[in-house]
Amino acid sequence: MSNCEVPDEYVQERINNIVVFMCNECGQGSANTAGVARMAYDAAIRIIRVQCTGQVGPIQIMEALTNGADAVACVGCCLGACHFFNGNIISMHRIKLMKKVFKELGYSDEFVNQYTSRAAEGETAVGDFEDIIDRLTTAITEKGTIKDGC
Amino acid sequence: MDVKVFQFNGCKKCFNESLLLKEESKYKVEFVSDPKNWKGEKVDVSVITGYLLPNDLEHLGRIKNNSTKIIAYGGCTATGGVFALANQKGHEVTPLTNLVEINSNVHGCLGEIEELKLAIDGTEVPKLKSLCQVCSRKATCDYLESINRQIELEDSETCFNDLGFLCSGFTATECKEKCIDYNTPCRGCKPSIDRSGIRMLAMFGTLAGNIEIATEHSVKGATDKLGDEDDDLTDSLPDVVGNFFRFTLPTSGFPKGRIPSSGSLLEDVFIGRLIEEIPLITGLLGGAKSVSLTLKFIESYEKANQIEVSEQTKKYRNELLQLESDLSKAIESEDASKYKEITDKIRFIAGNMNLSNVFFGGFKSIIDPNDDFNNYKSHVFDVVEGTYKNGSIEYTLDQTGIITEIKISEELL
Repeated sequence: MSNCEVPDEYVQERINNIVVFMCNECGQGSANTAGVARMAYDAAIRIIRVQCTGQVGPIQIMEALTNGADAVACVGCCLGACHFFNGNIISMHRIKLMKKVFKELGYSDEFVNQYTSRAAEGETAVGDFEDIIDRLTTAITEKGTIKDGC
Repeated sequence: MDVKVFQFNGCKKCFNESLLLKEESKYKVEFVSDPKNWKGEKVDVSVITGYLLPNDLEHLGRIKNNSTKIIAYGGCTATGGVFALANQKGHEVTPLTNLVEINSNVHGCLGEIEELKLAIDGTEVPKLKSLCQVCSRKATCDYLESINRQIELEDSETCFNDLGFLCSGFTATECKEKCIDYNTPCRGCKPSIDRSGIRMLAMFGTLAGNIEIATEHSVKGATDKLGDEDDDLTDSLPDVVGNFFRFTLPTSGFPKGRIPSSGSLLEDVFIGRLIEEIPLITGLLGGAKSVSLTLKFIESYEKANQIEVSEQTKKYRNELLQLESDLSKAIESEDASKYKEITDKIRFIAGNMNLSNVFFGGFKSIIDPNDDFNNYKSHVFDVVEGTYKNGSIEYTLDQTGIITEIKISEELL
């Protein structure tokens, strides 16, 4: 048992701000569709719309984390369907390297990830949000996030 | 002008380099190698060298109260330096600016003496070019075919990054040590921007955009997401922290790591690093004994794996060892001109004071234009798992070439 283990009742208190960078095409599109269909998702999710997830890199992720985000995720177009060229794939490479850094520092790497969604299906975005929260819960209860250096 | 140079922890390379201040008669230089017992007296300029820990604050406060100007000299003092890699294992190496208010930073491992002089005089340092602007290699910035370990460095006209070797030149300024001239990708000791490590990570992540990456099906989202398992990208970069944050870990915004510490800060710097990085790290942190320390590591590996070493390599290595002992004498007698003469000789053979040219099996680039380079060219070597021992050092490698255990005492510095 790690010295940072958090009891289950406190986990919810630790999930307040989740920054999700959503691309203007499929990412934000699917969130809009979810809104039209009145699907509910967790109130901790804060969406930031970007042109393409290729615009988001380690600097933006670290900025979010050091300014209070509990988890950061990118939601882009499906693989091979980037509306520009390959912004979603490039972003995945950068995030993969970030995850490796967190792992090498002894933290969980589950509080940062990249997802894809389909603009026509709102449930893909809502499903991604649920997955982000599930993974953050695992991160908090197991190896810890970098938020509190624990 | 009264100048006092204080050496805190770690290697004394920058402290020794500041001996060159004596060449200028306008400075009245004094060296304080033990600031803990320094009584305190008024001084115009205090130059701080060496890495700092939070418990040095008391002594730094005394220095701060007595001096009109404080300068952080060298990478360790300015950004944490190579010793700060131990923060990965929970140590708290801290840059000087986080502890006391300072007047200027002189970056670089080794910090450049000309810049220190300008900082002492209060003259602004002229704007430096980026390293890529002064690099002779040509870049294409195409996506990488593969990421390579820095074992097989062939002389080439092409940019290191394009060849798949991680070079931090994008985020570094021009420097005197110039590892890139000795077939060694830039280590990034003299950053041109803040958070250079993170920016380099972003840049390299983009370049690696064509490397195979693991994705998996997300059950909830019913689409693909980035996978957790290892893939080509993470396998080809076994030590991301050590490669991208070699000198800037405490200033990158990450909290200190939670990897269990082995107890000694010096050992923690080495654990987790790659075998091909070792000669470079020992060159960086070995201080006045960097040559013997580097050769100890190299020879232990060469001996155990039957890597052949030519006579000429041995000759040059012995010459370096001789120069190292001469250098110690020059430092002891505080003889600045002798120091300069000997370091110039070391630079001629080893490339720079970080010994960029020294490698397994030989040297990375030609030393004397009249030599036949094939006589002492470094070999491509295999990473062999096992325990290696040479005198007072002992280290264990795993099959990827990562150091998992090491025994090395602080006295070697």
